[in-house]
Amino acid sequence: MELLVTLRKKQLLEKLLPLVDGVIAGSLFTSSYDSSIEDIEIICNYIKTRGKKVYIVMDDFVSEDELPDLYYYFRVISKLDVDGIYFHDFGIYDIARKDDMVSKLIYDGKTVLCNALDTAFLLKRGIDSVVLSRELTLEEITNIVKANPKQVDLQIFGHIRLSYSKRKFLKNYFNEINREYDYLNKETMSLVEEQRDYRLPIIENDHGTYIYSDYVFEMFNEINDLKKYLKRGIIDTLFIDDSTVMEVCRDYRRISNENKEFLKQNLLQSHPDNYSSGYLYQRTNITKDE
Amino acid sequence: MNKIELLAPAKDLAKAKIAIMYGADAVYVGGKSFSLRSRASNFDNESLKEICGFAKSYGRKVFVTVNIVFHDDDYKGIMDYLKYLEEIGVDAIIISSLALIPIVKKVAPKLECHISTQLSSLNSASVEAMKEFGADRVVLAREASMDQIKQIASKSSIPLEVFIHGGMCSNFSGRCVLSNRMTLRDANRGGCAHSCRWKYHLFDGDEIISNPNCLMSMSSKDLRASAYVEEMIRSGVASLKIEGRMKSEYYIGQVVKTYRRMIDEIYANGGLSPERLAYYDEELTKAENRPADDGFLSGECDSSKHLYGINGAGVTHDYVAYIHSYEPTRSIALIEVKNIFHRGDELEVFGPDIDNLRFKADNIYDYDWNDVELANKPTQLLYVRMPFKVSQGCMIRKVNR
Repeated sequence: MELLVTLRKKQLLEKLLPLVDGVIAGSLFTSSYDSSIEDIEIICNYIKTRGKKVYIVMDDFVSEDELPDLYYYFRVISKLDVDGIYFHDFGIYDIARKDDMVSKLIYDGKTVLCNALDTAFLLKRGIDSVVLSRELTLEEITNIVKANPKQVDLQIFGHIRLSYSKRKFLKNYFNEINREYDYLNKETMSLVEEQRDYRLPIIENDHGTYIYSDYVFEMFNEINDLKKYLKRGIIDTLFIDDSTVMEVCRDYRRISNENKEFLKQNLLQSHPDNYSSGYLYQRTNITKDE
Repeated sequence: MNKIELLAPAKDLAKAKIAIMYGADAVYVGGKSFSLRSRASNFDNESLKEICGFAKSYGRKVFVTVNIVFHDDDYKGIMDYLKYLEEIGVDAIIISSLALIPIVKKVAPKLECHISTQLSSLNSASVEAMKEFGADRVVLAREASMDQIKQIASKSSIPLEVFIHGGMCSNFSGRCVLSNRMTLRDANRGGCAHSCRWKYHLFDGDEIISNPNCLMSMSSKDLRASAYVEEMIRSGVASLKIEGRMKSEYYIGQVVKTYRRMIDEIYANGGLSPERLAYYDEELTKAENRPADDGFLSGECDSSKHLYGINGAGVTHDYVAYIHSYEPTRSIALIEVKNIFHRGDELEVFGPDIDNLRFKADNIYDYDWNDVELANKPTQLLYVRMPFKVSQGCMIRKVNR
């Protein structure tokens, strides 16, 4: 399993690279870390000269108006020496198909890729890999990755995205209450439902609004048994402080069945947070009638 | 040029028949398994067969939603189900699992595969990808503007379906699992708790920055695209879709009939005058119980397109009775009470072939022909004398709204 980390700050590259196999950088078509073509080129060269891998994430849905920009951007990116492109919008698949670039694609459907059949369907189209949805149990994940060994990626750490909207929820709300507020791209904002007490991080940019889990997903106890089947494990750093990111990268790199409990306890003590195994042991198929 | 399709939802057999009688070219319904909207009293296999027969007798189509986001266990029984749907004459299935396309082509090749809005197709390249995957039709994401829809339609080589009316997900469909986190109900497997419509305190760090008198909500107004129907027809979109598999027969009847008349008038007269559009808009408001607007069709959704402070849900009590039959010799209709009305109330009948005929409910009788002053028992069957001919399937509503 390649260990990848999402890159939010270029300044962290030097420290991160020795700890991971590769880096996932943003693009103009992603939710959280916009990067210009020039930025990506610099990042790409920096990483490549250090013998590591570089992936680009383009996980927004693209409107028809944005297609010409997407074509241009994709074609420039594809000429760089990137190792893969994470995509969400099947329009990107269509562009890659015409440019003979499908083998560079990695599908991240966020919430909609939950089974082995869809995984196999996409892999059969020639794409490199898929990222499974975060709403799966460990048993479901295990079955899918065993059926498609070394062709599946998994988010193994970080806040889980709960929703993605084209609507500007924060901008609209501040308009509604007639308040001026500096909210754009701010990582410190959160929602608390009036009957509940946990905070859901919310971030808004020019593309829309994204809400994330209150907890930080981790799979210290499970990753060791899965990693021989996984192609890549992704550490998502959004809302995570730099020091925790460094420690987590280091831990996932050296984790084993012998030290996993120790590393987890260590993390809990050094960087206390609301860590959770998410849905690994909890199904979410309760219906309204139950 | 083929006439644009009007596609209506139905929660159960009775509502599907209403949709067809009131002018839908096709209905989409969910089976007991594999379908979102778990609270909808979905169709069992026998009901599916019956609605197919009913639809065919009117020359209409039936689409079945097989649109949950499948987990491995959810596929159990899918092959037999698909074969059954084909056998009973279902025209298409609406799917979000791409892996179903080759399965359908193999085991039930007469079924068309329509790509659900769950896959958020928002551009022509995405539509082309779906075509390459083998899809027969794509339901566009509700986030496309009218201009974008026109552009996509001009480039698309497979039919497109566009939502024109009903509830809106405030997030991209399929990309919201707030319900999973907050209630353990899987939004993508029929359990959505509509957590987006709840109220939230907004924090920046540890500071509350929301207004306590107007908490934040992501609740969106419903969609009403009546003003865009003409443009959609001209754009080459294949199907206009009404949302609302949870809605009442009154809602279905009123909304379907209004859009049916509107579409027919546009084709007959080459367009719609502002006065006629205003008339149709007024008709649509009779069925609505949540505020509505044009969503993303006119561009970005600003704060006026959200609902703050109120959920916006409300049940209309205007719909007072359903007409089961009519005896012309005595001018008597057998009705089923839906909501309260009094003797002497001014009421209005509408139906597949009747436009808002008014009468005074002066003569109401029970089954033993006793006079009735107050009709207030839902499902009770009563007789009402009508001054004009009506037919089965007509509905009665209050006039003074």
